[in-house]
Amino acid sequence: MDKNEIKIHVEGLKKNFGDNHVLRGIDIDIHAGEVVCVIGPSGSGKSTFLRCLNRLEEATEGVITIDGESITDPKADVDKIRQHVGMVFQQFNLFPHYTVKRNVMFAPVELKLKTKEEAEAKAVQLLERVGLADKIDAKPRSLSGGQQQRVAIARALAMDPDIMLFDEPTSALDPEMVGEVLDVMRELAQQGMTMVVVTHEMGFAREVADRVIFVDEGVIQEEGTPAEVMGNPQNPRTKSFLSKVL
Amino acid sequence: MDLSTLIDTLVAAWPLLWNGLQMTVYVTVISLIVAMPLGIVTCLMNLSKFRVLRGIAKFYIWIIRGTPMLVQGFYIYFAVPQIIQALIMPDFRIDVVTASLITLILNAGAYTSEIFRGAIQSVPDGQTEASRSLGVSHVKTMQKIVLPQAIRICLPSLVNQCIITLKDSTIMYALGLPEVMNQARVYVGRTMDSFATYTWVAVIFLVIISVLMLASSALEKRMRA
Repeated sequence: MDKNEIKIHVEGLKKNFGDNHVLRGIDIDIHAGEVVCVIGPSGSGKSTFLRCLNRLEEATEGVITIDGESITDPKADVDKIRQHVGMVFQQFNLFPHYTVKRNVMFAPVELKLKTKEEAEAKAVQLLERVGLADKIDAKPRSLSGGQQQRVAIARALAMDPDIMLFDEPTSALDPEMVGEVLDVMRELAQQGMTMVVVTHEMGFAREVADRVIFVDEGVIQEEGTPAEVMGNPQNPRTKSFLSKVL
Repeated sequence: MDLSTLIDTLVAAWPLLWNGLQMTVYVTVISLIVAMPLGIVTCLMNLSKFRVLRGIAKFYIWIIRGTPMLVQGFYIYFAVPQIIQALIMPDFRIDVVTASLITLILNAGAYTSEIFRGAIQSVPDGQTEASRSLGVSHVKTMQKIVLPQAIRICLPSLVNQCIITLKDSTIMYALGLPEVMNQARVYVGRTMDSFATYTWVAVIFLVIISVLMLASSALEKRMRA
């Protein structure tokens, strides 16, 4: 993997909801294998930023390219780009009418990227990797939040993505389940996955992130290594935010 | 009035009631079979991004919800043919079964479309987002993720609509459709035996609708498993 390869390029990203200017101009390059944690107060626009990256939200202005391909272009093949950009949601969003295994197999089979047998083998392997081999035939409803989130990660990994987006993946979990999800994410980071993680888990950001960006009022207020941003913040907003959460 | 006279009435009235019951079930089943696809199409038009399609769907639902079914029946059976005779086809005729079917279909179609719309909109956005974020198309996401969940959600309301259409079919009595109520009226006209006859009409509906309700709760249980 070429560490200098730019996986995500964001230039002048703005997003308005009516009169509400949620993102006011974001520029960032994210490199292959990099783990970027996005922190900031709620309502600061960090989730909106993440959702613009795979165009779940339409950017009002600006350019985003994923592996050199523009996803903000009106003519972009969004489905094609999304196939290698996995996303994990705060509310898990597992498909309740499918078993755990079918949740994981769903996209590769529907998109005819794998045969049923291949997808099934891959699903079993991924579910073992996230520690849920014994739950493959369970319905999502019967699982704990932490287990559901690990299935959701396996479901995203089933598409063999090279970028993973995490939208507050542990915010809806009971405290005792946060660890099991962060463990899976940590392992993924160690294996060289390019990750953008919107999170309130400062410990995770400090330990795993290559770069932390602090977003407030729709712009990146400060960025750098965890030691720089969290250990020695320069921006008063960053300082004030960190004093509240640390 | 004892039980044996009630049973005597049932035996005596049965040929007429059976005739009527067949007609009732026939118009109800045909109406529902046609109304379901009509409801789905209307619902998809209503959720479409094209304003014209949305307008047509909303207009249709507005007319049906905003006017009594009896008025609609009379309009289709008497008023529309008169206009067609005057303007296009002087010898145009519509029979009472067709007019009743059209009325019931238009009604059930409008109401089922609203049932489908409510169900589709009650599937959380997160379901669509999860599927789309995997690169699955809008159409496939609808087919595999949203509609299967929507159908589970609206199943009880759909059974309820079947029951309503079955009961509404008696309104077509007023057009002269030979359904159960009409046939009961014929028997009462001959015998003046109102109490026993209308008791049996009520019992017939109660039995059919109870069976439907049992079937629906069994189905719901299976869907939930």
